[in-house]
Amino acid sequence: MILSIEDLKIQYRTDRGITQAVDGATFGVPEGQAVGLVGESGCGKTTVARAINGVMAKNASIVGGKVIFDGQDVTAASPAEREPLLWRRIAFIPQSAMNSLDPVYRVEKQIEEILIDRGGYDKNRSRARAVELFEMVGLDAKRLRDYPHQFSGGMRQRAAIALALALNPTLVIADEPVTALDVIVQRQVLDTFRDLQSRLKISVILVTHDISVVAYTCDQVVVMYAGVAVESGPTGQVLTKPFHPYTMGLYHAFPDLHSSRGELTPIEGSPPDLMFPPKGCPFAERCPFALDKCHAERPPLEDAGGNHYAACWRISDAVELRRQAGEVSTWQRS
Amino acid sequence: MAALVTAQNLKKHFAVSRKLTEIFRGEHPVVRAVDGLDFTIDQGESVGLLGESGCGKTTTGRLLLNLTRPTDGRISFDGSDLTQVKGPDLKAFRRKAQLVFQNPFEALNPRFTIYRSLAEPLVNMNIPAEEHEDRMMVAMNRVHLPDVEQYYEKFPHQLSGGQLQRVVLARALVLEPTFVVADEPVSMLDVSVRAGILNVMREVRDTMDLTALYISHDFALVRYVCERTMVMYLGKVVEDGPSEEVVERPQHPYTKALVQAVPVPHVDQSHDPLPIIGSMPDAQNPPSGCRFRDRCPYAFARCAEEEPPLKEIGSKHKAACHLLDHVSPT
Repeated sequence: MILSIEDLKIQYRTDRGITQAVDGATFGVPEGQAVGLVGESGCGKTTVARAINGVMAKNASIVGGKVIFDGQDVTAASPAEREPLLWRRIAFIPQSAMNSLDPVYRVEKQIEEILIDRGGYDKNRSRARAVELFEMVGLDAKRLRDYPHQFSGGMRQRAAIALALALNPTLVIADEPVTALDVIVQRQVLDTFRDLQSRLKISVILVTHDISVVAYTCDQVVVMYAGVAVESGPTGQVLTKPFHPYTMGLYHAFPDLHSSRGELTPIEGSPPDLMFPPKGCPFAERCPFALDKCHAERPPLEDAGGNHYAACWRISDAVELRRQAGEVSTWQRS
Repeated sequence: MAALVTAQNLKKHFAVSRKLTEIFRGEHPVVRAVDGLDFTIDQGESVGLLGESGCGKTTTGRLLLNLTRPTDGRISFDGSDLTQVKGPDLKAFRRKAQLVFQNPFEALNPRFTIYRSLAEPLVNMNIPAEEHEDRMMVAMNRVHLPDVEQYYEKFPHQLSGGQLQRVVLARALVLEPTFVVADEPVSMLDVSVRAGILNVMREVRDTMDLTALYISHDFALVRYVCERTMVMYLGKVVEDGPSEEVVERPQHPYTKALVQAVPVPHVDQSHDPLPIIGSMPDAQNPPSGCRFRDRCPYAFARCAEEEPPLKEIGSKHKAACHLLDHVSPT
């Protein structure tokens, strides 16, 4: 494991009080693999991603757990100790590449800045490296002299990937890298990403709300709900044999282009207010299979076999629950 | 079935700011957002208008609702020419044709209660006040927000995204329209909530016998909600047919690439490279002949010379590609 996250808890201080944005996230990223972090808006996936990189919002604080990167606990590290990791070991591609490129500098200048300031490159070598990076991500090296606004959305995203790869990081965290892109461009960027990941043997965390992007790109998947990593495991296993009812629900709510299956099933209700996190399982309120115990006590993350983990009191009933989750009536509220 | 909406050679060009050289030369460059559409939407049909950003799909929706005037061409609605409709007839049209907005967080006035937002169309159309409550109740029931009292006094920020989008939908339905244009109605919503809205839309379509145009970039969604799909590329419809046909047996190379590009929630999916390159060209200077030719792996000489017409290739299935003259459809 290049990265392991153990029972991570993060709070945001807001005017209204304290929000428990992440309330127990445990998962690992094996070396050279791509891990998808999926969940809906407000589930804490971006907060986790930012905590790994140490670039958190001012009002956020880690109140529990560990983030261990290559043997070192990043959460315990001081900013000075963390500094050498940024860009060199861990690179972060923020949500929407628009925001990661400075509009008033040429793209070339922005890549060089990282290469020179962070990587100790000299001017000549940095120029050669910038060309190399651009070619790697499928951009024309002539466009290095352009400003970000001269790039299309897909090109900007590629430039952001080039930036992240500049210093050969071990781990790349990409936050919704293709969300704003059209499907054809999205596919092209994902292909580039996959190709680079396997060629350069980097480990990747891909934060997204789209389970089909994860299915296309990632070896492993972590499903988050209301600040909790409720299920994790190999992508194929999690999608076809889920143990957590939320994962089942998510799968059945998702339209599939090639399936003529009857009806999509919405998950009724909405996630809990994390200002007042529920005592029991965070999904219990919306779960059609919830027992009394689920409302009273939070289920621990359990090993379901084959590197597959889920936090549900009814793991042993999974086969039956999966069958029921496939029926529309299960998810309908009276 | 009778046609409700017909577009003939429909065009909308937007003027862009001119460079100094263009001013001297007396040139007036335009963006050809919609550049010659011909289609018919039958009564009760639900059609998906699919395309990437910038292909002109939103402009098409606005044209059909008479929110913008076409540069050229004709739109007829229920037999009358929309471009000529004025005064009371226009008001009657507004009552029959409604728009569902993309972003529910912005579509409702934040200072209006839900009641006031829902009542506004009724007030505008001079519906007697005593009918308001009943009509609103019916509309709210249609979108599955039955306990109306709970919502009426609330403001938009007090509702969740899913509830808001239902309210937006209810507001569009409160006048009992015959034609609805929904522009990316669920793109701002989370997956678990989205399915609920899509189901409501399917249900409404069936129970109200609505004619609907769904504008979306999401192929899977269009297939789920619409029986028919029109694929747009750079201001033109390149393929039009029953959704299932278009997805499973796409004929235009662009549609084929689109279908292949959509990721599916399974691990065993094709990772083959896409058969097309680059991105959509500039709508100011579209390529001559077929607009897709510079990205098309099969393009040949004729594609540059002649624009392919939409050609019938199967039952209700049309595509605009010269290749269809040369090879038998597979």
